[in-house]
Amino acid sequence: MLGLARPSSGSATLLGAPAGDRQCRRRIGYLPELFRYQDWLSAREVLALHAALAGIERTKRGGHIERALATVGLQGRADDRVGTFSKGMQQRLGIGVALLGEPDLVFLDEPTSALDPVGRHDVRHIIERLRARGTTVFLNSHLLTEVERVCDHVAVVDRGHVVAAGTVDDLTRGVASVRLRLGGVTPAVASVLARGGKPPSSVAGWYTVDGVDDGDIPQLVADLVAAGAQVYAVEPMRLTLEERFLQLLQPAAAVPP
Amino acid sequence: MSVLTIASLTLREAARRRVLAAVGALTVLAVLLTAWGMGKLAETMHARGEPAAELAATFSILVLLLAYMFSVVLGVGAAFVAAPSIAADIDSGVVLAILPRPIRRSDLVFGKWLSLVLLAAAFTFVAGAIELAVVRAISGYAPPHPAVALTFLAAETVVLLTLALMLGTRLPSIAAGISAVVLFGLAWVGGIAQSIALALHNESVIRATTALSLLLPTDALWRGAAYALEPAAVAAAALTDVRSESPFAVGSPPPAAFEWWAVGWVIAVLAAAVISFQRRDL
Repeated sequence: MLGLARPSSGSATLLGAPAGDRQCRRRIGYLPELFRYQDWLSAREVLALHAALAGIERTKRGGHIERALATVGLQGRADDRVGTFSKGMQQRLGIGVALLGEPDLVFLDEPTSALDPVGRHDVRHIIERLRARGTTVFLNSHLLTEVERVCDHVAVVDRGHVVAAGTVDDLTRGVASVRLRLGGVTPAVASVLARGGKPPSSVAGWYTVDGVDDGDIPQLVADLVAAGAQVYAVEPMRLTLEERFLQLLQPAAAVPP
Repeated sequence: MSVLTIASLTLREAARRRVLAAVGALTVLAVLLTAWGMGKLAETMHARGEPAAELAATFSILVLLLAYMFSVVLGVGAAFVAAPSIAADIDSGVVLAILPRPIRRSDLVFGKWLSLVLLAAAFTFVAGAIELAVVRAISGYAPPHPAVALTFLAAETVVLLTLALMLGTRLPSIAAGISAVVLFGLAWVGGIAQSIALALHNESVIRATTALSLLLPTDALWRGAAYALEPAAVAAAALTDVRSESPFAVGSPPPAAFEWWAVGWVIAVLAAAVISFQRRDL
């Protein structure tokens, strides 16, 4: 999409221009997954280099560089050589480089892979701020809990093919379940729990019924009570994105309860 | 504009990575050592009452040998500095961060090439001029056309660095550097073989070695430098008797057509580097 690899077939557009278009790349920021910056430059010099290559006006570069340093929390180390940075600090610098010049579209490839929990939290905030500003962030990540927390739209790609796409709700809808703690489970109650299929097993009085969306729960509870069950607790459960991802990629694999 | 940004980045890298400091220190050391050695030689010759012509003849040979050593250092140095210039940036992932910027891949190739040419030319002329000035101060000997000789040496260096840069767009750094040095050696051997073939009037070897000198013009450019450095008598002798022809005794300078060929060669190989880099998936 950025011209680093040539397409084997087909075409794509980014911001209305053919993917890889040089002028269009002025409006795009990119953090590669496996990247390195010139380790003999300071963080400020790396940003200055990218500001020059991005075609940012000379007089405005200083302001952009300071804002990028502040965004990723590197002001204190701005004049240290990149070679002395930890992987996490290099990752922060990479995000700063990607955000330089306030691009309309930002590609972040595994932005939190080398970060500690504080760093991940910071990146999440940066992405949320970008979203609030109207910037499109294309986040590529294997950390699905991160994706679930920040992404409006998700696509699951398996061997180059999109196998599912939509909002996180879209992807996990219809595959929710509910846990119930029940007493008085007679055969009539068990048949309500089975919903036409195999009755669910129970662990210490807890029954898990799959395929129940939030909206179906009151009716299920009413049916159970009508069949004579004593309902002590109801816990609506949704599949996490990770569980859904595993289902999509390994349909036969058991999804953890 | 991006070409100049990349060129200045490469020059800064050479300075920061102490390439310039190391080369400068070694040049000073080489000049001091040769000055000391030549000083002792001149002192001995003066003490023995050798005629001025003998002193000039001795120093003309010394200058050629020094220039030859210098050309090898320049060639090998150019190969090992130019080969990783793009190759190492591909290996390390530096290009992944730079190329998505609104620049052309050719900007990166031209920027790197421009800075390497500037470094090579500056080093050739500065170090060469210092060494020749030292020779003149010690012995009073000055070769006939020093500026022409240094221009040929710089051209030879540019040819080799362009080749190494092109190879580095496809091969890893070490492979590109070694390949360029091996081809440099082949061209040198081809030059020697051509001298022998000329003496033996072996037409097929002459044709093969001429083709080799066109494919990689480094040795023929060295001969341009040697012709500009050697005394006229040595050139005349090599011209009249091909058996005395060698890398240190050249009968005639390369023809003007060959000089244009060398210019075209550099442009063609640089264009090949751009095309090769543009077609590479990163």
